[in-house]
Amino acid sequence: MAGYYEGLLILVGINIIAVIGVSILTGFTRLFSFGNGGFMAIGAYTGAILSTKLHTPLAVSILGGMLMAGFVAFLLGKITLGLKGDYFLIATLGFGESVRVIIENLQGVTGGARGYSGIPMKTDLFVIVISVALAIFIAWNILHSKIGRNFMAIREQEIAADAIGIDTAKYKNIAFVISAMFAAWAGVLFAHYFTFIVPIMFNLAKSSEMTITVVIGGLGSLTGSIVATTLLTLLPELARAAAEYRMLAYGVAVVLIITLRPSGLMGYKEFSARAIYYWVRDLFSRKAVKSGEEVSS
Amino acid sequence: MTEAILSIQDLQKNFGGVVATRDFCLEIEKNQIVGLIGPNGAGKTTIFNIITGIYTPSAGTVKFLGNDLVGKKPFQIAQAGIARTFQNIRLFQKLSVLDNVIMASHKDCTYSVFGAMTHLGAFRKNEKEVRERSMQLLEMVGLQDITDRIAGGLPYGHQRRLEIARALAIRPKLLLLDEPAAGMNAEESEDLCSFVFDLHKKFDLTIFLIEHHMDVVMKLCDEITVLNFGQTICQGTPQQVIADPHVIEAYLGEEK
Amino acid sequence: MIWQQIVNGISVGSIYALMATGYALIYSLLGFSNWAHGDIAMVGAYLGFMFIASMNLPWWAALILALLGAGLLSVISERLAYRKIRKNNSPTMFLMIAAMGLSVALQNFILVTVGSKFKTYPQVLPVKAINIGGVYIGLLDLISFLASVIVIIFLYYLIERTKFGLAVKAAAANMQVASLLGINVDRYISLVFLLAGSLAGLSGVFLGMKYTVYPQLGNFALKAFIASVFGGLGSVPGAIVGALFIGLMEVFVAGYISAGLRDLFTFSLLVAVLVIRPTGLFGKDIQDKA
Repeated sequence: MAGYYEGLLILVGINIIAVIGVSILTGFTRLFSFGNGGFMAIGAYTGAILSTKLHTPLAVSILGGMLMAGFVAFLLGKITLGLKGDYFLIATLGFGESVRVIIENLQGVTGGARGYSGIPMKTDLFVIVISVALAIFIAWNILHSKIGRNFMAIREQEIAADAIGIDTAKYKNIAFVISAMFAAWAGVLFAHYFTFIVPIMFNLAKSSEMTITVVIGGLGSLTGSIVATTLLTLLPELARAAAEYRMLAYGVAVVLIITLRPSGLMGYKEFSARAIYYWVRDLFSRKAVKSGEEVSS
Repeated sequence: MTEAILSIQDLQKNFGGVVATRDFCLEIEKNQIVGLIGPNGAGKTTIFNIITGIYTPSAGTVKFLGNDLVGKKPFQIAQAGIARTFQNIRLFQKLSVLDNVIMASHKDCTYSVFGAMTHLGAFRKNEKEVRERSMQLLEMVGLQDITDRIAGGLPYGHQRRLEIARALAIRPKLLLLDEPAAGMNAEESEDLCSFVFDLHKKFDLTIFLIEHHMDVVMKLCDEITVLNFGQTICQGTPQQVIADPHVIEAYLGEEK
Repeated sequence: MIWQQIVNGISVGSIYALMATGYALIYSLLGFSNWAHGDIAMVGAYLGFMFIASMNLPWWAALILALLGAGLLSVISERLAYRKIRKNNSPTMFLMIAAMGLSVALQNFILVTVGSKFKTYPQVLPVKAINIGGVYIGLLDLISFLASVIVIIFLYYLIERTKFGLAVKAAAANMQVASLLGINVDRYISLVFLLAGSLAGLSGVFLGMKYTVYPQLGNFALKAFIASVFGGLGSVPGAIVGALFIGLMEVFVAGYISAGLRDLFTFSLLVAVLVIRPTGLFGKDIQDKA
């Protein structure tokens, strides 16, 4: 096991990768899902089985996990993405829980509720840094391309998106699959760090925690999601209180943020040099800044 | 020389027990500007929604360039060449003026998923071209000076122009305008008419519009269809329509 | 044998129905999933336990007080957490997220104050099983079933036959217009939360008596959500039907197939229903107009 601080950073990295997926799905396409824990589990178990039974290198295990999760997401998306808001949400929730139940009942393959152990420890700080950098690179690029724009069109005005010829059903599915693959990526890294996985690690609490993190960071801001994940993973450790007190503070904080500053930490904005320039300029200018005058990235 | 771009036959739409549209027939020829008028609730936007695939008709056919539209999804109909604007302006409010138009150019972005993920290869060049084309479109509608402004903050008239620019970005052959002059005063309506005529020429468009402002309708349209309670009460040139007793009755009530 | 299963299923389903009804009420009014609903029930369970175990109150008094306590907590939570979001015109998803935060806060508040040890209700009801035609019903199950039926009938009367119900339905249909018509929408929302919270508290006490009391008792509400989605979000009768159905399904799957696969069947059935009827059995189909 790595040193304490190193371990903390690794955990932050894993969470960032998973949350990036949810950010794309929820922050940029406005699809709320409580099933991404299930995709993380699919990735973790697939990757673990590949590593232990077939002795594949980490990259292959990651790829295998991602493909499996992506495939499942594609099928699930076809069935459920036609459902409206809350219905889709419950369907994904059901999916996440079903994954857990299925894993628990496939004792022969997955070790069941007792867990799967003996996974080689392959995730270290170096691997995490590369993974996180790669994840951010890919996510940022996708969001700043035609694909990302189509997501945002669906988020902003789905009817208008249809009217300008965007196949909204297809792109919702793409967003869903991408989020599943990021979750799986994180899951494989997770499995190869803790060397032992149990279905309960990827339960509803994990899924909802990821969604809450994205909201706190600001829907529509990738940097917000990353910052929020970092804070929410690190702060409880630094606070050094008993778990229940930390969670109580967490719950209260969520309520406070959502009632007082619903746009989250970064609102709609991304961290960029241009944004800082405008911010500084507005600070020094005497003109009243029109509210809503935001800079598109 | 009369090619029917849009051909609607015996269209009917029921919502539960309510008949919103009945026996609607219309032929629009290439480069015509056709108007659809009628009192509120007459069923005008319903017809637009059927053409663009948002509603499925209860009966009847809609053919565009010879192809059946009924049953197709809205995005397919848009890709086939029909663009529209909305009565209550559906811009991407939180995004910039330029971004709104770029969004509509997605079909011009031909790079692969790999290109999107890495921004390598043809990506940069493609994106640049799309950006330039969008700027040109904005210039044509007179919005080139405010490309960075947030769409939601624009004055009403500019928002309408932006919505039209966005619609033009998908290279439509038929443009549906839903109450483009809504909320405009006499002067703004004048501007709108010249604006529409201009675009009609520049882009070789066929235009089908819903409007309440009679002066706009009179000026722009080659032909007008008048609806009342879901039924067509008159079809003809502006001069014919304005003199028709049924039309007068529908708008002004029976002559005593 | 099968009748025994059916009775068991309806019995547990009626407790789910109590919870689902409160949840559906809130959904029909504010259009959001009150994630904290189950935790209100959990607090009700703890309150009931406290009144019986520590204060030695008779069980029916403890029940009523726990009911009121949960209702009060529900009203307070609306005032503190949800009202501001509603006034801000934020998307309804935010209400759900606030509810999630509230849920975590409530669970951990109990963990911090009372502790994580499971509490067992003292034996206030004789552990008798009444034999009706060869089928055994536990006394507790019978009482909870009857209570559920009475409450639901009362609720029906309240919503369908009184001015209060009419005002609530008006507000549910269109809040702005309702307030323009002079309905004090805020007050009615508080009242509905009081009602929903009381229902949750009641179901919490029954669950606590039937099983045990623990901070994660609120997880039972998941079945209430599923029941509500199954029956059609926003439909109270749908939620009740859904809850009974889930109760029956759980008993049958556990009895004839496997207890572990219970939840899997529930979820699969849910997805199957949604594929055929995307808005649930009795749900309304709201189409977005262009």
